[in-house]
Amino acid sequence: MTGLDLAFAAVGVVAAASGLLAVTTRHVVHAALWLVVCLGSVAGCYLVLGAELVALVQVLVYVGAVVVLVLFALMLTRAPIGPRAEISTSRLHRALAAVLGAGVTVLLASVLLPLAHPVDRHETDTTVLSRELFGTWVWPFEVLSLLLLAALVAALAVSRVGARSGDVRDGAARAEAELRTARGDAS
Amino acid sequence: MSEPTKPQPANPASSNARPARRSSGGAVPGILKGLATTARTLARPTHTAEYPDVSPHLPPRSRGVIALLEENCTSCMLCARECPDWCIYIDSHKETIPATTPGGRDRQRNVLDRFAIDFSLCMYCGICIEVCPFDALHWSPEFEYSELDIRDLLHEKDRLGQWMPTVPPPPALDEHAAEPAEVAAVNKPPRTARTPTARPARPTRVTPAPEGEA
Amino acid sequence: MTGADALEVVVRAVAVLAAFLVLPLLVGQTEHKVMAHMQGRLGPMYAGGFHGWAQLVADGVKFVQKEDITPAAADKGVFRFAPAVALVPYLVAMAVIPLSPDVVAADAPAGAVFVLAVTAVGILGTLMAGWASANKYSLLGAMRAAAQLLSYELPMVLAVASVCLAAGTLSLTGIAHAWSPWWLLWQLPGAVVFLVSAVAELQRPPFDMPVADSEIVFGAYTEYTGLRFAFFLLSEYAGIVVMSLLFTVLYLGGWQGPLSDQLGWLWTVLKGFCIAVVVIWLRVAWPRLREDQLQRLAWLVLVPLALAQLALTGVWVVLTA
Repeated sequence: MTGLDLAFAAVGVVAAASGLLAVTTRHVVHAALWLVVCLGSVAGCYLVLGAELVALVQVLVYVGAVVVLVLFALMLTRAPIGPRAEISTSRLHRALAAVLGAGVTVLLASVLLPLAHPVDRHETDTTVLSRELFGTWVWPFEVLSLLLLAALVAALAVSRVGARSGDVRDGAARAEAELRTARGDAS
Repeated sequence: MSEPTKPQPANPASSNARPARRSSGGAVPGILKGLATTARTLARPTHTAEYPDVSPHLPPRSRGVIALLEENCTSCMLCARECPDWCIYIDSHKETIPATTPGGRDRQRNVLDRFAIDFSLCMYCGICIEVCPFDALHWSPEFEYSELDIRDLLHEKDRLGQWMPTVPPPPALDEHAAEPAEVAAVNKPPRTARTPTARPARPTRVTPAPEGEA
Repeated sequence: MTGADALEVVVRAVAVLAAFLVLPLLVGQTEHKVMAHMQGRLGPMYAGGFHGWAQLVADGVKFVQKEDITPAAADKGVFRFAPAVALVPYLVAMAVIPLSPDVVAADAPAGAVFVLAVTAVGILGTLMAGWASANKYSLLGAMRAAAQLLSYELPMVLAVASVCLAAGTLSLTGIAHAWSPWWLLWQLPGAVVFLVSAVAELQRPPFDMPVADSEIVFGAYTEYTGLRFAFFLLSEYAGIVVMSLLFTVLYLGGWQGPLSDQLGWLWTVLKGFCIAVVVIWLRVAWPRLREDQLQRLAWLVLVPLALAQLALTGVWVVLTA
């Protein structure tokens, strides 16, 4: 067992543990924060394997932008401090989710564990990475970006449809009503 | 960069619909002006008053503290009675001065025992100074008499008298002003002995005359 | 790893820590003085004797003495941990910024992306602080911060991408090596975009909506006292140092200048200091932007400008390659 194996195992354990905490914690914001730790340690895994740029982009995009967006969205809701009974899932759901999660874990482990071998680090140069990305994988890359663009346009369209029908005051009143129903306090 | 002066329409959708750039050209010079003004101020000397190191230049009529010229005080109590805060304490007793001429009457004189101003109550209105007929109270620009205990702000007549040398001379009179009362009194010819004829006897009853009132 | 290597690592780490503790204080003191004189004042004059040079040291001592309060309703763990999340990324970022080809604590191959990635993490500290304080002003501040940082992250990354494209490398030392005075003109739009979004990312005036003290007390930091509050302040000034040095390395050629072989690090520090003074100057000169103006500036001015700069750089690089 080399030092590299040890480092990989360490970040892997951190990633797995924080991922587990992210799905089991009953604080919504804590889940997002555990997600930060999880994504950060996945970036650490990339770093151990020698893909420096991928690790940095992982941090930049996921920790710096996606989780910030998630936290922003959570702050717009009434994310409570401390667990709340009314937004917790029931015991049956939890048990089912645990079974499902365990099943997926077993499936993935049975497929992936036989492939596991000692960590071999090969430095991935940025030039090599970009050549791969924009040469071999250029079509999937472009199609993915098209998909994201379509999602963006769709989001814009959805938000604009609400704005066009009816004037401002209508829109504001409706938004307030929607917010109220979403919060569940009709009184 | 942006248009800070333009009032924003309430509906963001409608502001997107039409091009919202009316006062272009107004914003950028304003931004540069802000930079220029601050840079110019940076190059100029500062205005900070370095108070404890450099004593402040106070205008002559500054209301710092009330000084007492004890010799002028007749214990008439006018100041103490006029004071809105009741912060002046005066104790006095009467002293009999024996007659200087044989057969004359003994005279009585007020002697000031205590004159104190409680500066924790004083609101620096200056009514006591205005009201004093004998110029015993004066404004002094001295202001550094803070105390750690509020009770120490009650100052007795000796302390009030120590501030007297800091009282600035009264401002010069205007060019065509009347003579000050003191000077006029000195310059007046001495009064002659009062004789019954010196004053015209007033008629005991006058027939009402319209111009007589003037 | 031999003993000499270990010693070198320790020396470098200590040097970065020292720079991290000294340079922000230097910027802070400069801000005290420059801001005061720009407003016709003198600023601190007593602490330390000569023109109040030890004012921030005295402030630090004061902060240490203050009571460390955690609000009763707060999410205590997150609340206490947030200052560290805000502070440490700038410490890490400072380690990879080169002062000269030799004076750099850790020369990362993708230094430009590294600094961007790491400073993006620091933002989480503000969000954690704002949410965990259980205070409506903190929450409003954190939401404003999140909205602002999401908007300004994009033009900043695009501007840096343009420089990396021009230099043909992601390494900060490589970028400074590839720099030529011609860049001052060619990369000017990108430089402006970078500077504006850096100031916005640091939540400094005129982009201080998240901490707007006349509206929402002190935004996400409202509930903080003592040393934890001082850590947030320190992270702001460390952020100015990091962004100024990064701007110097990316757009001003870093150590390039007369006698750059001997005095290279001095050139970088001097240029960075000038940028820090500009950041301070902006704070004094300009009023705070409103939230809608802030978003408008980011999406309607900076992003198109950065994209145009990127396109220009790309075309130029392809044509001259």
